[in-house]
Amino acid sequence: MPLKEVPVKIEYNNQWIVTKLGLAEDRIVIPAPVNREILFKTVTDVEERKNILIITAKTDVEAKYKILSVEKVLQVLKKLILALCNAYRLKAYFMSPAIRGGVLVKDAKWEEGSVVVVLSGIWFSSGVKQICVPVVDVAAIELTKRDVQAKPTDVIRIDHLESGEVVSSFVLCPLSTLQVLYNFLKETTKGMDMKGTELDSIDQQVAMLVYSGMDSHAIENMLNIPPKQLDAIYDKILKLGLAEVVIVRREIQLTTKGVRYISDATKAQTN
Amino acid sequence: MGKILIVDDTLFMRTLLKNILFSGGHTIVGEAGDGEEAVAKYQELKPDLVTMDVVMPKQNGIEALKAIKALDPAARVVMCTAVGQEQMVKLAIKSGAKGYIVKPFQAPKVLEEVKNVLAA
Repeated sequence: MPLKEVPVKIEYNNQWIVTKLGLAEDRIVIPAPVNREILFKTVTDVEERKNILIITAKTDVEAKYKILSVEKVLQVLKKLILALCNAYRLKAYFMSPAIRGGVLVKDAKWEEGSVVVVLSGIWFSSGVKQICVPVVDVAAIELTKRDVQAKPTDVIRIDHLESGEVVSSFVLCPLSTLQVLYNFLKETTKGMDMKGTELDSIDQQVAMLVYSGMDSHAIENMLNIPPKQLDAIYDKILKLGLAEVVIVRREIQLTTKGVRYISDATKAQTN
Repeated sequence: MGKILIVDDTLFMRTLLKNILFSGGHTIVGEAGDGEEAVAKYQELKPDLVTMDVVMPKQNGIEALKAIKALDPAARVVMCTAVGQEQMVKLAIKSGAKGYIVKPFQAPKVLEEVKNVLAA
């Protein structure tokens, strides 16, 4: 018997239908016309896109459920699913977000909760907060030290990209657990790793300037390199999957006809 | 918009900050490559704001910050630190820094922090 019911919209046959999900101890009950029960232990992935929760459950076949609701309801669902789904999970303190776009987030504090690693993301879950870092957006994972109660303490720093900004989060738990989590996270995000020798120092400077928001013209001026060299470096960076083309600009030069037009126009203005 | 002194021991970082701040409409009144030079340039140029790297030769950013605050208690200094130097940030704030930015820089964040410190 469901313990609690929550109002949602669920995608069914490419349409959103209004329904009430039953939340039981071990499962979610979706009434007719969907008529499904999702055992929490079969949930292998949880994603969140704006206010849509996407749940992947795997029994004999894999099924995806898209659930739309207000934040308060989604929070109940997320908390429950993250606590009981089939995932790597450990109790930890976390601070997320701690640094956003290179600036320490004001009022960032340690929260007691869990780190839950599912197929597509790393979740930080506490009584009041559920934050997801999608694996594809993870820019760096590092074992580092941070002052906790005025003592340098081992933590894991996870950097991810969010709307073009680098956001850092920290995880704190006993060192032995931290090492296991670090290894697990490194394994989960292995596809994003690089050897570190792919770019030379000029290439790295170009990448850093792109990160800082400089355009091609500014980069050429700052590093004093010709457009062709910058193009070659861009090709290298693009080939490594480190960047994507946002806009292609053109430089043009006037023809004789163009020069004549401008000369005439100038004469007309001065006469 | 303010008159800004940029302090960093690497030309690359100075140039990058110069470009970012210039694009935000600020005037770069000078540059310094170490803490000692920063203090001398501060006395000479009297900038509205200083961006100060932490790790530098001769005199580090924290020492230079203290020296500048001793000369001018109202000095506005924004510290530039690397990720993982949060303890440095705390020390800098205790020593009188008005703000901090963490490397690598993102232009909008740098401009926002500078704007906030200049407005305070």
